[in-house]
Amino acid sequence: MRSIHEAAARRDFLKSLGAAATATLALPEPRLRAEGVVHPKATADAIIVLWMAGGMAAPDTFDPKKHKPFEKGLAVADCISTFPSIPTAIDGVRICQGLEGIAGVLDRGALVRSHVQPDLGSILHSRHQYHWHTGYVPPQTVACPHIGAWMARVLGPNNPSLPAFVNIGQRLEGIGENEEIKAFTTAGFFGSEFGPMNLPFPEEAAAAVRPPEGMAPGRFADRYKHYKALLAAAPGREHASDHHQESMLRSLDNAHRLLSAKERAAFDIALEPPEVREAYDTGRFGRGCLLARRLVEHGARYVEVTTEYVPFLHWDTHERGHETVARMHAEIDRPIAALVRDLEARRLLDRTLVIIASEFSRDMITEGRPGSKAADQASSPKDFLQEPAHYGQHRHFTGGSTVVLFGGGIKKGFVHGRTADERPCLAVEDPVTITDLHATLFTAMGISPATAFDIEGRPFYATEDGKGRAVEALFGA
Amino acid sequence: MPGSRSEAAGAALVILATALAAALQAPAGAVDFAHEVVPILRRACTKCHSGAQRQGGYSIDSREALLAGGDSGLPAVVPGDPGAGELLRRVTAADPAERMPSEGEALPEEAVAVLRRWVLERAPWEEGFAFGAPVYEAALALRTVELPPAVGGRTHPVDRIVDARRATAGLAPLPRCDDAAFIRRASLDLVGLLPDPDAVAAFVADADPGKRARLVRTLLDDDLARAEHWMTFWNDLLRNDYTGTGFITGGRRQITPWLHRALVDNIPYDRFVRELVSPTDASRGFIDGIVWRGEVNASQTVPIQFAQNVGQTFLGINLKCASCHDSFVDRWKLQQTYDLAAVMAPEPLELFRCDKATGATATPGWPFPELGTIDPTRPPAERLARLAELLVDPGNGWLSRTLVNRLWARLLGRGIVHPVDALRAPPWSAELLDWLAADFVASGHDMKRLLETIATSEAYGAATPPSAAAPGADAGLVGPVPRRMTAEQFTDALWHLTGTHPAKADADVVRVRPDPAAPPPEPARAVWIWNNESAASPPGERLAFRTRLELAAAPRRAVAVVTADNEATLWVNGTKVGHTADWGRPLVEPVAAFGPGANEIVVVAANADAGGPAALKAEIRLLAADGAPLAVASDAAWEWTATPPDDRGGWPAGTAVEWRPAAVVENQSVWASSDAAFAAGLAGSGAAQPPLRAVLVKCTPLMSALGRPNRDQVVTSRPVDLTTLEAIQLANEQTLFDAFTRGGERWLASHGPDPDRLAAALYAAALARPPTADEARAARGILGPEPTAAAVADLLWAIVMLPEFQLVR
Repeated sequence: MRSIHEAAARRDFLKSLGAAATATLALPEPRLRAEGVVHPKATADAIIVLWMAGGMAAPDTFDPKKHKPFEKGLAVADCISTFPSIPTAIDGVRICQGLEGIAGVLDRGALVRSHVQPDLGSILHSRHQYHWHTGYVPPQTVACPHIGAWMARVLGPNNPSLPAFVNIGQRLEGIGENEEIKAFTTAGFFGSEFGPMNLPFPEEAAAAVRPPEGMAPGRFADRYKHYKALLAAAPGREHASDHHQESMLRSLDNAHRLLSAKERAAFDIALEPPEVREAYDTGRFGRGCLLARRLVEHGARYVEVTTEYVPFLHWDTHERGHETVARMHAEIDRPIAALVRDLEARRLLDRTLVIIASEFSRDMITEGRPGSKAADQASSPKDFLQEPAHYGQHRHFTGGSTVVLFGGGIKKGFVHGRTADERPCLAVEDPVTITDLHATLFTAMGISPATAFDIEGRPFYATEDGKGRAVEALFGA
Repeated sequence: MPGSRSEAAGAALVILATALAAALQAPAGAVDFAHEVVPILRRACTKCHSGAQRQGGYSIDSREALLAGGDSGLPAVVPGDPGAGELLRRVTAADPAERMPSEGEALPEEAVAVLRRWVLERAPWEEGFAFGAPVYEAALALRTVELPPAVGGRTHPVDRIVDARRATAGLAPLPRCDDAAFIRRASLDLVGLLPDPDAVAAFVADADPGKRARLVRTLLDDDLARAEHWMTFWNDLLRNDYTGTGFITGGRRQITPWLHRALVDNIPYDRFVRELVSPTDASRGFIDGIVWRGEVNASQTVPIQFAQNVGQTFLGINLKCASCHDSFVDRWKLQQTYDLAAVMAPEPLELFRCDKATGATATPGWPFPELGTIDPTRPPAERLARLAELLVDPGNGWLSRTLVNRLWARLLGRGIVHPVDALRAPPWSAELLDWLAADFVASGHDMKRLLETIATSEAYGAATPPSAAAPGADAGLVGPVPRRMTAEQFTDALWHLTGTHPAKADADVVRVRPDPAAPPPEPARAVWIWNNESAASPPGERLAFRTRLELAAAPRRAVAVVTADNEATLWVNGTKVGHTADWGRPLVEPVAAFGPGANEIVVVAANADAGGPAALKAEIRLLAADGAPLAVASDAAWEWTATPPDDRGGWPAGTAVEWRPAAVVENQSVWASSDAAFAAGLAGSGAAQPPLRAVLVKCTPLMSALGRPNRDQVVTSRPVDLTTLEAIQLANEQTLFDAFTRGGERWLASHGPDPDRLAAALYAAALARPPTADEARAARGILGPEPTAAAVADLLWAIVMLPEFQLVR
């Protein structure tokens, strides 16, 4: 039998071996891995993601192809775009009719015409949206943070009175697939401090930072003053150094500051002059763009404005696609152009990255078959159209879509990548994956795509496995 | 601007050329230490150069040691210079006497290339990472713990261990918390509810030295309250919810009725685990995981989810890393994960490494074959039954250790092993962990008794020391750490303080159980009524009936039983209570909307489009605030109108509504076949019907903000800190404000208008203590000399916002 000293010595030896690892284990998670990560120099301070929820068809928006108007018996093979093309402010670059406003400011931005998404077997909107917004394909073993939460966690807000991550226009209750949408509209393992402030109705945003309905502003201020008095009178102030108590009081103070600060005005689009409101107001999305502008002006970090995902509505065209997309053009064109011009006029565009993106593109007429790969999604062009209801982009397509970027250090008047001119319109030059597109966004914001946090004892990266590579060609405004 | 376009282009070319050169040197970009370098070094070097093995005086355990080299005195790695250093020289040496590894094959070229790149990139290392033996691994079987002697009459086994531990560190036993703090803490911890002020007063006044143990027992004996509190914990751990990802694609199954029942009945934990792992239809939601439509990553198939969830929930083993590749952080291997997954897989399971097929096939098995094996030739159901048997085998110490650790963490704020999922980390007291685990097994896996054992220890009943909660504090020495209320605890407390419990559960559970000891229920007083005695009614006729009820105070409870031929909707004070469209199956629903003063009860009843006779029968049984039973029943005193109400069951002011007396239908026997169901509803209403709990409703935006998770993954801990976004909601969320408004009215009606009396009552209800003189003064500042309902609401809000309220301490 070994002596007790031997046993103790061995235990100490083992302890010293494991000490480093144990010390790390004992630290709270998630834990930023600082070593070996070099952050790029930021070219943007804020980002506005204009989310075309439901699958915006590139051939009917920013990547026009051969076009024929509807006629009875139209061969699908003869027509890819259901809109004719128009010239833009970039020489030789055309986009679809209906987007004249954006065409006029396109020289301030760049087109990536080769964004690609994985097929995932069955193309399901909310699942692809999860992938686009977190960089990870669900399901995952840990709760993945939204990219807005990454920005909030790593960078925080530009103005400490404002929430860093604001999500405009998406209802999370009372619509289809809402639980799936909630699954990525979250800070995941970062914790809700870094999660989105959700403002489904831009015109009601001011209410989210106002005293509740039924409470006069004076009473609201008094209530907090009285609260502080009650707190000061509470015994147990010796617990003041208590970590929980401290952080709780700090949060209540932060909240009260926002609810009383002048920045509260950032949420109120009614404060805009009527002609400005008019310029944006094509509907909820347009008003959301105006709200996004105000929030960025006041110091928000990541703002997303969505056309809203509701199954079979808006960009999710499964019939009458042409008609619906004409309406979507009208909804997005004016406010996006106004947003770009306004940011430019305020000298904010250079440091604000604006991006228009969607979970995937679409192709014409026929619904995708489950199990079909991207390349086959458009390989059945033998149909002939008999009804106008069938004229439109009715089929999910992940092989090539367009992303538009403005400002924030992005090259102006530039086109990156190309899709084939015949079906399937796959990205045939410089395909850009979600991982690399995210790396581009993170890089612009000064965050290394290899930034990682330890969670459950393993690293979790800003881009999948830390492997995202920014599309360098896009930089150089 | 200086510089022409061509100069800029030239500069760009130089940059491009440099980038190209760099790219050629490092073709795959930055090396990934954890995923690329560690596996190579672990495979090739650790057998002889790690942990106790330091052959040639060389260890690679830390970066420092790895760089320094061994007995030769030559550096093993020179960061940034692949040309120098013994390590690269030796792994590429042609001479077999020199080449490393000294046994087995030389490193493949790709591996050497990774190491070269790693050295070139200055040998980055992970903070805190060390090769070497697993940090900690206890024996599979529980040890027999010899208890240290009791000191100072503190005989509870937990205290004997904790006191001895503190004594070693030169610390005296922790003092007790005061009795009021104890009853609040124990109530919130064991049943999730604030204690009743009368119970607090009685407890504080009680001189019996055994009163804490008695209180713990009483709380735990409230089966429904205990079960519904711990249901939050188990819903998180078993990934069970009433809505959420996977429901729209049919990819998820609830285990709600099974779980609720199992917790109410406190079934032994071994049976609990067996029924989850080797399930019936009612409990199979746990092993089925969540199925997304479409292709999923190989590490997220249903069998792999099964392996991960069984590992994490029941064994405290993290198999998530080992679902893609052999784990870098502990000893679990890809093969072990797949073998466990294969236990439930109907088809042979092929191993995928990092989502690529390996060609190898899993053999159904589990991580601790030393305890027994699973016959891979048996069908899945039998394999699952065998796995369940092995999991609950008393020789498997991890099952009981994992649960004991989780419950200890819930009750004392930190695990004996912490974080609770890092069971490979050393416990601060292996003796305590194993004593509790062994005691739990010996008790017949009795979860309720385990809670009692922990909660009756002085360690649990100690005062929370100041600044105890700093992260990283040694839990063994600091005593109980304050914990934030869960979203469910907070919501329950809020509903309780404001009287705003919703009426309807989303969870499919049976809460009302006829009490066999209760006196037989009174027969129904209600009679069938309509607007004429013969119940004649044109097809589709829709009438509204009403009655009023004066109450001195909000009732303790109220349950409505309503039926109509053909349908009826019940409203109380503008709140919709429920709807029934089958006269044989009456609506039976608790009503939370009654308050002091006049209460308006409205039933909208409609005849079928097919016509026929129509009639309504409704009865509401209440238990008044003073404990007196009351009943409101449909009879000739009710009134009817043909003017339809608005969508809140009322009529806007100024609407001309003509009310006429209702008629009792002559032939009551037409609907006699429904009498039994109606009486049964009333009988149920006589049983104790505790207010609805937050755990039984779907997650609200407010609860979500307060940290109730969406349960896509197994969740083992809730957020510790209140965040700013949550604080905004607490300050201005509309439903919350409305609840406080309602609460203000109720408290004013029941305790007003003396401000001191109101403040004392609110402090007692919320904090289980009276206000200090300073606080009473501050409260008077809010309430004013003649408090309004709004002022009472604001005081209630301010109390609820105190850290003392939101923390369990």
